[in-house]
Amino acid sequence: MRFLLLLLPLSLFANLNIAVSYPYIGALTKSIGGENVEVVVLANGNWDPHFVVPKPSLISKVRNADGLIMNGGELEIGWLPPLIKKAGNPKTNVNAKTFLNLSNHISMIDKPQSVSRSGGDLHPEGNPHFNLDPNNILILANAIKEYLSTIDSKNSHVYEKNYVIFSDMWKKKIELWNEKMLSKKGVKVVQFHNILAYFNKAYKIENIATIEPLPGIPPSSKHTVDTIELIKKEQPCCILHDVYHSTKTAEFISEKTGIKIVLIPHDIGALESVEDLTSLFDYLTSAIK
Amino acid sequence: MKKQLCLSLVASSFLLADTDIEQLKIEMNKQQLIIEKLQEKIEKLAVAKKFEAPQIETFDQSKFMPDISLILDLSYVSRSKKDDEVAHLEVPGVVHGLLGSHSDGDVTHSTYNASNGFNLNYAELALSSSVDPYFTMDAIFHLSEHGFEIEEAFVTSTALGHGLRVKGGKFLSNFGYLNEKHHHAWSFSDMPLVYESFLGLHAINEIGAQLQWTAPTSTYLMFGAEVLQGENEQMFGNNTIGNTETPITKGSQAPSLFVGYIKSSIDIDDTTILGGLSYANGSSRVDHSQEEAPSAFSGDSSLYGVDLTIKHYFDSYSFLSWQSEWLMRDMDGIEYTLDPADISVVTATANLRKKQAGIYTQLEYGINKNFSAAIRYDTIYKNDVVESGVNMNEPDSLNGYSAMIEYKTSEFAKFRLQYNRNEALYNEDAIKQKIDTIIFQANIAIGAHGAHSF
Repeated sequence: MRFLLLLLPLSLFANLNIAVSYPYIGALTKSIGGENVEVVVLANGNWDPHFVVPKPSLISKVRNADGLIMNGGELEIGWLPPLIKKAGNPKTNVNAKTFLNLSNHISMIDKPQSVSRSGGDLHPEGNPHFNLDPNNILILANAIKEYLSTIDSKNSHVYEKNYVIFSDMWKKKIELWNEKMLSKKGVKVVQFHNILAYFNKAYKIENIATIEPLPGIPPSSKHTVDTIELIKKEQPCCILHDVYHSTKTAEFISEKTGIKIVLIPHDIGALESVEDLTSLFDYLTSAIK
Repeated sequence: MKKQLCLSLVASSFLLADTDIEQLKIEMNKQQLIIEKLQEKIEKLAVAKKFEAPQIETFDQSKFMPDISLILDLSYVSRSKKDDEVAHLEVPGVVHGLLGSHSDGDVTHSTYNASNGFNLNYAELALSSSVDPYFTMDAIFHLSEHGFEIEEAFVTSTALGHGLRVKGGKFLSNFGYLNEKHHHAWSFSDMPLVYESFLGLHAINEIGAQLQWTAPTSTYLMFGAEVLQGENEQMFGNNTIGNTETPITKGSQAPSLFVGYIKSSIDIDDTTILGGLSYANGSSRVDHSQEEAPSAFSGDSSLYGVDLTIKHYFDSYSFLSWQSEWLMRDMDGIEYTLDPADISVVTATANLRKKQAGIYTQLEYGINKNFSAAIRYDTIYKNDVVESGVNMNEPDSLNGYSAMIEYKTSEFAKFRLQYNRNEALYNEDAIKQKIDTIIFQANIAIGAHGAHSF
C-alpha cells in the first residue's frame, strides 16, 4: 500500500511543486508561497552545501517539479547540473522562466581579482554564502515573490500578501538582531571556511583567518602554525566553525591558544535547534558571547 | 535652592543634549541624501559604462565558449611478468590478450596500464555546451600516443518534458552501472575482469540513439532503450568477415544491437540503494583472423546484467559503498577455423554456443575528503563453451583480487596506488598464470568543474 502511494504522481497534491536546492530557500519559498506551493528541498541542511550527494531520488524530485530555485554563485556546480540534465524537465532548465537563480539578485562580495585554481576552489562570481546576511533574506524573499507571481499570476495577490507579512515580521527581527549585534562591532573571529562573509559584513565583524589555507583546500600544518601565531597576536574572540568540517584542527588551535570554538549553523537543519529562518539568525546573533 | 539649581542644570543639560541630537540627526539625514545622490550618480555611470563596453568588441564570441576540461591519466606499472609474455595470455574461451597491447591489423589496441613502467593512458578532452533551447552537446575525445579517438560525441534533448530524454550520436551505453562511467570515475585503475573480458576496454560504446524515460513517481524509476550500430569487437558486430566476393561469413543489417534497461533507487535515511536490470541483444561477427590461430565467429548474442549499489554517507565526505554487477552472456553461432597460411580458407566449421557469467563486487570506504580505500573481487565463474555438441571443458574459476588506496590533493587531482592479483589468465600450454601488478596512477583535471553523478 505504502509503495503504491509512493508511485502516485506528486502533482496531485499541490498547486505548484517547487524544487529548491537548500533548506533556507525552501523555508523562504514556503513563507511566500503559502498553501499554493509545495516545496521539495534537495540538499541536507547539516552537510556541506558544496558537496551534495546526487542521489537518484533527487532526479525524480527535479523531474516532477514545476520550477527550480537555486542559490547560484556556483555553490551547486558540483552536484546540481547532472540532476537537471538527467531529469529532462523543461521547467527546470537553466533558461526557463520557472528557473530562479537567487544569486542574480544579490551583489556578491569577495569576487576574486584573478581566477586560478592555484588559489584553491574559487567561486569566480564571488562568495556564494549570501544567505547569512538577514538583510539579503528580504531581497531574496522579494525575488521569490516576483518569481512566484510570474509563473502563477492568478495567485499573485496571495504571494504579495504573504510577502508583506513576512517582510514586516523580518524587518522587526532585523532591528532586534541589529541591537543584539551592536556591541559585537569590531570583534575579530576565525572561521574554517569563510561562510560568514556576509554576516560579518552586516555586523562589522572582522574575520582575521580561515583554518583552511585556501578555499576548499584542507588544513596544512604550516598554515595552522601561522594561524596560531596570528590568533596570539590579534586575540580574536572565537573560532566560528561550520558543522560539516572536522573540528580536529580547530581543537588543536584551541589547545595551543585557549581560543573558544563555537559551532555555527549555515542553514536550517545544520544544528538541531535551528528549525526555521528566524532561529537560524537567532542562533547566529547569539554565537559571539 | 541649591537642589533646585542642580535639578534645572541637569534638566537643561539633558535638553541641550536632546537638541544636539536633533541637530545631529538633521545633519545625518542631509549627509544621507548627499550619499544617496552620489550613489545614484555612480550607478548611472556604471550603467553608461556597461552600454559602452560592447562597442569595443562587437563581434566577441568568447562568452559562447563551451565548457572545456582536460583530464590526463598517467600510471607507473610494475607487473610480475614481462609485457611480451602477458600479451599472449588468454582467458580461455573468453578473450585473448586481456592485459597488455596487441596489434589488430594496423591498429594497436592497448588496455589501460598496459606496459611495465610508465603509461600515458590518455589525455581526455571534454567539451560541453547547450546548442539552443532544445539540445545540449557533449564531446569527449581520447587522445593517446596512438591517435585521436572520439570516445563520445552526442546531442541530448532538453525540452521534451514528461521525463523523456533522447540522445543521439556516439556514446557509452547506460547498460548496467559501470558501462556509462568514464575511466576517471571508476574506483579502480582498471576495468572489472568480467566487463573487459566480455565487452573490451570501452564496453558498449556505440553510435546510435537512446531514449530514456523517468517515471512521474516520487521513487526513482527509469526505463531506457537504445538502438546501436553494434560494432563492439569483442562480442557484437555486423561486418562481413573475409573478402566481399567470397566471404567467410556475411555481415548482417545494421543497426544490429539493441539495449534495454530499468533502474530504480530508494533512500533509507542516509543510505541510498540503486539497482538495475539490463539486457542487450545483437548480431555477432567476431573477427579473429589476424591471430595466431585464426578464426571467425558469426551468430547472435545476448548479454544480461544485474547491478546493485548500496552507498551510506556518514557525513559530507565520508561514505561506505558496496557495488556489484553480474553479467551473463549467451553467444550462439558458427565458428570458422581458418588456415593460418591463407586466412581466406576455412578449414573447419562448428556450431558454437558460449554461456558465460561473472561478477565483480567492490567495497569502498571514503575516509574523508582526501583519502579513500577499496577492495574488489572479480570472477568469471561460468564458462560453458559447447562446440558441435561437445563441451570444451574450459576452466571456470577465473578470479581477480584488487585493493587500492587513493589520495586527492583537491577535487582536481587524484593519486592512486593499486594492487592486482590476476588468476584468470592461461598461457599457450593451458597453464594458469598468476600475475601480480602494482599500479601507481595519477589522474589530473583542469578546466571546467566536473560534476559528479551517483
